[in-house]
Amino acid sequence: MSPLAPRRLAHAPWLAGVLAGAVLIGVVVPLHRHQAVATKFDLVEERVWLLPPAGALRVASLGFHAMAADTVWLLTVQYIGSHLIGDQQFPHLRRLVETVVDLDPHFVEAYTLGALFLNYSGARVQIALDLLERGHRANPNRWELPHDIARTYYLELKDYAKALEWFTIADQIPGRPHYVPRFIARLYAATGHRETALELWQAMRDAATSDWVRDIADREIAKLERQPATPPTGGGATKP
Amino acid sequence: MTIAAIAWNTFREAVRDRILYSILAFALLLIGASVVVAGLSIGQESRIVKDLGLASTTLFGTFIAIFLGITLVSKEIERRTIYLIIPKPVSRPGFLIGKYCGLVLTLTVTVGVMGVMVFLLAALVDGVVTPALLIAIGVDFVALMIVTAVALLFSTFSTPTLSAIFTVAIFVIGRLSGDLTVFADQFADQALNRAIWVTYLALPDLGRFQFGSRVVQGLPLAPADIGTTAAYGLAYTCFLLLLAIAIFQRRDFK
Repeated sequence: MSPLAPRRLAHAPWLAGVLAGAVLIGVVVPLHRHQAVATKFDLVEERVWLLPPAGALRVASLGFHAMAADTVWLLTVQYIGSHLIGDQQFPHLRRLVETVVDLDPHFVEAYTLGALFLNYSGARVQIALDLLERGHRANPNRWELPHDIARTYYLELKDYAKALEWFTIADQIPGRPHYVPRFIARLYAATGHRETALELWQAMRDAATSDWVRDIADREIAKLERQPATPPTGGGATKP
Repeated sequence: MTIAAIAWNTFREAVRDRILYSILAFALLLIGASVVVAGLSIGQESRIVKDLGLASTTLFGTFIAIFLGITLVSKEIERRTIYLIIPKPVSRPGFLIGKYCGLVLTLTVTVGVMGVMVFLLAALVDGVVTPALLIAIGVDFVALMIVTAVALLFSTFSTPTLSAIFTVAIFVIGRLSGDLTVFADQFADQALNRAIWVTYLALPDLGRFQFGSRVVQGLPLAPADIGTTAAYGLAYTCFLLLLAIAIFQRRDFK
């Protein structure tokens, strides 16, 4: 080796650093970005397909069930988001939400939001009702669950007797919204269904924590506002 | 006084360990990042900040307990400092208890820092303070005391690597041991059923110290439950320390 070699090598760390930066910016980042953009949708789908059952997740999470439920919930949100801007179909939503509530039966918002999207995006009303009723059994002190069951019977199935039954249950739970007794009165009187429906949707819009829920509520309010204001005849619950 | 001196010395030694700061920095980073993650959750920010914060506190507290606990005695043997301590008027149980107290003091400080950060972040996201979070962290700290005692127990007769493996195994078993009772009920064979129950009762049930999810859901905490759980944790810790003392007494350092 010539005596000048060590001096030339003294620049090596700088050279290596510059080369490392060039490789990162010129090759690694573009390749990584290309792959990330190309597989963005597939990545969420793949994670949904590969999601283990709740029983396995319970063991794998070493008892950190709430954190595991949060992680699956974040995946559920990504799943809803990726399909909302796409085909608006949610074939795996039920499995995702059931995994969340299997891990944490007290995750009330997973029942309510899950049911909402099963209803209005997948039109699977009975599955949504089953989910909400399961939530009510696990959380009998939360008014949101009987309230949403009543809302589903009222708005989706037009089963006013069942809606009255569930609004009455919600009415007995502390913290319920102020309009619940008014709805019960209207259901007994079998009148004012359009106003009740409007108020239910407006309450959902006001309480919404996401634009997705707000959009659903806005759409339904617009639909109702185009309808005539005259109350429908009959169909009300019978006062016992 | 001797125990206090050993404890204080162990604490000073632990806070000089770089691994402690690495784990603590990583934990604080993860707790802080929970705010960013929570933003993706549709109205579940508070829940995710609390869940992730509490889980990070438990997990990183356990790492600290294991990484520092497994070398408590073996380091003294490796450095041969134990040969200087044993001839002095320090009893072996006093030495072990001092070491244990020093590590618990270290854990109190580190878990305290993590706990305060979780508490403040939760208050920032919620807009209201949740004092019950501190109770949940306090109860969980008793579980960390058990893990520390397990690490110390293995440290008295095993190498650091084996001690780490054994302690992690006990931690995993302890987190899942509650499921054993469910398995036991599925067997019709009485003897097998009883054997599973005995195994469950002998192993530490670390899952019962998790009061965090109740706090996150806003459910009330029963003082009797907290008291029984804390008493169970302290009793189990005593059992492990006595076992460690029994093993350490029999070791030959001549």
